[in-house]
Amino acid sequence: MSDAPIVGRSRPVWVRVVGLAGLVTTALTVWLGLWVTPPDQKQGNLVRLVYLHPPIAWVALYLAFGLAALSSLLYLWRRTRSLFWDRLAAASVEVGVVFNALTLATGMLWGRPSWGVWWTWDARLTSTALLLVLFLGYLALRRVPADPEVRAKRCAVAGLIAFVDVPIVHFSVVWWQTLHQGATVLNADLSPTIHGSMAWTLLLGFVALTLVFVWMVAVRYRIEVLADRTGAEHLEISLAERWAEGGVAVPTAPAPSNGSVELRPPSPVGQ
Amino acid sequence: MSYVDAGYAVGLSVLFLYAIGLVLRRRSLERRVDLAPPADPGQRATEAPPGES
Repeated sequence: MSDAPIVGRSRPVWVRVVGLAGLVTTALTVWLGLWVTPPDQKQGNLVRLVYLHPPIAWVALYLAFGLAALSSLLYLWRRTRSLFWDRLAAASVEVGVVFNALTLATGMLWGRPSWGVWWTWDARLTSTALLLVLFLGYLALRRVPADPEVRAKRCAVAGLIAFVDVPIVHFSVVWWQTLHQGATVLNADLSPTIHGSMAWTLLLGFVALTLVFVWMVAVRYRIEVLADRTGAEHLEISLAERWAEGGVAVPTAPAPSNGSVELRPPSPVGQ
Repeated sequence: MSYVDAGYAVGLSVLFLYAIGLVLRRRSLERRVDLAPPADPGQRATEAPPGES
């Protein structure tokens, strides 16, 4: 797949539109969630966190890590192998890690008044924390110096292994006795246990943070492409300097447009 | 400050700061790419999408 729409000075219009839509819908969700929707009969005003915490978790677990796993799979499959999928996975994981950390933070702020503790080694909480650690490991692996192809393959495998924890997080409230409540929307009967203005605001929250996620991944993907390109240029300049010091001619072939660096043996001057 | 306010403050401010960070990182890299001398004069022209360079 070509990188053409991302490289260069291009900033696609759709990215701006999605970013703006994400901003507006998020603001609307906050307004509806904090000031318009009624308090819950049991939880009182604490229920207002439902418009923030589940949408953040939805983005982290299902969108970000799901997209990362799918991209990793497509990279590993020979027919679709392209650095596009590797970069998309990297972008998605970084955004997902931010959302995963926020899932834990907002969950703790909800858990303290509801359960009386900030943290408990509950199956849902523990598996979500483990997910954060696994994908932090993925990001650390990306920083290990290696050939772009080797790094991509390594990270694709790591991404798929880490993704195994996602269904464990999802079904943890079914498989084990937990403090955490069961699924509100994606339950076994697919019948949401939330209605009226509360349901619509929750739905808007999901849409808002999905748009924010798409915008963030698009920007992060572009950063990945630009970083690969500047890294490749920096490497070329360094190699040219070293070869010049050794008195050999500098290869003039341009770097491949996919950002990887093709190293060719230099030819001695005069040959 | 209630737990609800704290939840919204933490969630939205972290997302906002991360978004600002992304934009700044992108701008910084774009500036570096613009400043770097092209290895081949024809390379930039082939990579930039038509009508958007």
